[in-house]
Amino acid sequence: MSKPLWTLAAREQGRIAGFDDALPENYRVRLMELGFHPGETVTCLQRPALGAPRAYRVANSTFSLDDEVARHIQVTSLEAITP
Amino acid sequence: MTQLMLVGSPNSGKSLLFNRLTGLAQKVANFPGITVDVARGRMKSLADTMLVDFPGTYSLQPISGEEAVATEIFLDTLEKDDVHGVLCLVDITRLEKSLYFTLQVIRECRRRGKSVWVLANMMDVLAQHGIEVDLEGLSRELEAPVLPISGRTGEGIDAVLSALRAATPASPQPDSGQPDALLRSEAHRLAGKYAPRGDLLVKTQNRLDAFFLHTAFGGAAFFGIMFLLFQSIFTWAAPAMDAVETGLGSLADLIVPAIGNSVARDFVSDALFSGLGAFLVFVPQIFVLTLVIGMLEDSGYMARAAVICHKPLRFFGLTGKSFIPMLSGVACAIPGIYAARSVDSPKKRLLTYMAIPLMPCSARLPVYTLLIAAFIPDTTALGGLVGLQGLAMFCTYFLGMLAGLVVTGLVSRTREDRYTDLPFVLEMPPYRLPSWIPLLRNCWNRSKQFVTKAGSIIFTVTVAIWVLGYFPNYGADLGASWLGRFGQVIEPLFAPLGLDWRYGVAIMTSFLAREVFVGTLGAMFGIEGAEENMVPLVEQIQTSGLETASGVALLFFFAIALMCVSTLAVLGREARSWTLPLKMFIAYVSIAYLGAVAIYQLGSIAGG
Repeated sequence: MSKPLWTLAAREQGRIAGFDDALPENYRVRLMELGFHPGETVTCLQRPALGAPRAYRVANSTFSLDDEVARHIQVTSLEAITP
Repeated sequence: MTQLMLVGSPNSGKSLLFNRLTGLAQKVANFPGITVDVARGRMKSLADTMLVDFPGTYSLQPISGEEAVATEIFLDTLEKDDVHGVLCLVDITRLEKSLYFTLQVIRECRRRGKSVWVLANMMDVLAQHGIEVDLEGLSRELEAPVLPISGRTGEGIDAVLSALRAATPASPQPDSGQPDALLRSEAHRLAGKYAPRGDLLVKTQNRLDAFFLHTAFGGAAFFGIMFLLFQSIFTWAAPAMDAVETGLGSLADLIVPAIGNSVARDFVSDALFSGLGAFLVFVPQIFVLTLVIGMLEDSGYMARAAVICHKPLRFFGLTGKSFIPMLSGVACAIPGIYAARSVDSPKKRLLTYMAIPLMPCSARLPVYTLLIAAFIPDTTALGGLVGLQGLAMFCTYFLGMLAGLVVTGLVSRTREDRYTDLPFVLEMPPYRLPSWIPLLRNCWNRSKQFVTKAGSIIFTVTVAIWVLGYFPNYGADLGASWLGRFGQVIEPLFAPLGLDWRYGVAIMTSFLAREVFVGTLGAMFGIEGAEENMVPLVEQIQTSGLETASGVALLFFFAIALMCVSTLAVLGREARSWTLPLKMFIAYVSIAYLGAVAIYQLGSIAGG
C-alpha cells in the first residue's frame, strides 16, 4: 500500500513506488537524476512543524522538498530507523 | 591557446578546483548553483591552456529555459576545434547524484571526439572515514579515466596535470550515443555498485540538521544568526568606518591648505574629499557583510536558512532560495540581484528582483540617520529600554522589507505570466569550514567593485553638483547658482510634501545614488563635509522650520523609491529586459511619491 512521501514520519523509511501523474514529466526526470528512483530507499530526516519543507535522504545525499513535490512521490513504508 | 572545459553537478566543488588550477578567485560557496556564469582562467601549470568553468547542472536534459541555455552553450563550446577535452567533476561522497550527468558528458564527448577525465573529488572526506571506492572498476565501466582528487587539500592535482599533459587527441565515435533513459538506468546501476555507502558520511550532517532545521531550535538559531549579521553591519564595521573617516579628514587637512587657487581648493575640499569621502566610509561595511554572508554560504548554513524561510516566503509568492538575494540586498541591491541567479524558478526569480530594491540597503542608512536625527526626539520610553530614534530606524527598515513582501505577494496573485515555475527541491550540502583565502579574496573584489563601479557614478554626480552649485558666482550664493535656479523650477513638484527647492534638488540628485542626498543637502545649507559630521546639518534642518510630517514623508519616500541608477542598470542586464527596471522605477517612485504626499497631508491635518 503506497502513500505520499510527504506523509512519512520523522526517521521513517520508505521505498519509492513511483510518481503521481500530477507531477510533470520533467520534474519526475529531475527527481530521478537526483536519486529518487523507483525502488530506492528514502528516509525522512527532519519534519519541521508548520508545513515547512522536509529533509529526505536518498543514498548519501539529503534534499529538502516542499509539499508541492513530496505529495506526488509515492512510497511504500519500511521500518523506522533508530535515531 | 587550447581550451579545457570544467563541468560538474551543483555543489561538487568546481569553483574551488577552478581557483586551484588557475590561481583566480571565482566565488566559492557551499550552496547549490553558485557558479552562474561561464568563468575563464589560464591554467597555472599547463602552458597555453584556458580552463572554462561551466555552471553546475544535474543533467544535460534541461527543465527550465536557463538550463536549456547553459546546456546549449556547453554543447556548442564542445564543438569547437580548440577544445582539448572536458574535466568532469563528481563528488565521490555522493556519487549517485553525479553519475547520470557524467554518462551524458562522456557520450557527448565521444560523439565529438573529445577527451574526458572524470575527477573524483572529496577523496579526503572518504579517507577521513576510512571508506574506499573502487575507482579502477568505475573507470573500466565508464570507459574513461577516473582520477582521485581533493580540491580542498590539493591532493591528486599533480596526477591530473600529468594525465592532461600526456593526453593524445581522441577521435569521434558517432555511433556511441545512448538515449537518456538508458543512461539513467545505467547511472542507477553504477551507483548501486560503486557509490560509497554507510551512515558515517552523513552522521554529523544529520546531527547538525536535527538542530538547525528543528522547529524551535532552528528558528531560534536563525534569528540569532541574523542578529549577528546585522550586528556585523552596524557595530563591527564601525571602527573601520571611523578609521577611513579620520584618515580622509587628516589627508584633507594636509592637502587642502596647500592649494593656492581658491576654485581648485574649494573643488578638492568639497567635491573630492566631502563627496568621495561620504561613500568610501561604506567600504568596510560592504567588506564585513560580504565576509559574514560568505561564511554562512561556505559553511552550508545558507541552504538551511533557505529551508526555514521557504514557507513564509512562499505565502508572498517567493521561495526559500529568494532569502539569500534579499539578505544580500540589505547591504546593497547590486550583489543581491547577482545572487538572485541561484533562484532556479524564472517566475520566482522575477519576483525576487522586485523585492530586492525595497530591502533597506546601506545607501539608505545615511539618509535615515540624518532624517531621524533631525525629526525624531532623542528620548527613551519604557523606562529607558527603548530609544525613540532606534525604534524609528527599526520601523523604517521593517517598512522596506514589508513593502518588498507585499509587492511580491500582490504581483504573484494577480499576474499570469510567461515565466515558468519550478518546485522547491534543494540539496542540503554537508557542513564545512569556510575556505578562507577565496572568501577573503571575494570580499576584497566585492569592495573593489563597489569603489570602482558605484564610485565613478558618485564622483560624477558630486562634481556635477559642485559645478552647478559653485558657478556662476563662485560659491557666494547657492540660491543664485545654476543649481539654485533649477531647484526653484522644480519646487512645485515637492511643495505637496512640504519641501522647498533645496530638498527637491537633493532628491533629484539622489536618483544617481541615495547617499548623495546628504551631501547635496549639506551643500544646499552651505555645510562642508555633512556626510562625515551630520550634526551641523541636523541643526540647520531643525531650525529651517521643516515640519515633522515632511521628515516622515521623506523617510517613507526613501524607503520605497528606487533611487539608484546602478541598481537599474544591473537589473536590466540580469533580467535581459529594460522594460522591467523601467516599470519598477516608475511604479516604486510613483508609490513613494504618492505615499509621501498622503503622509504629509494627513500629518499636517492632524497637527492642525
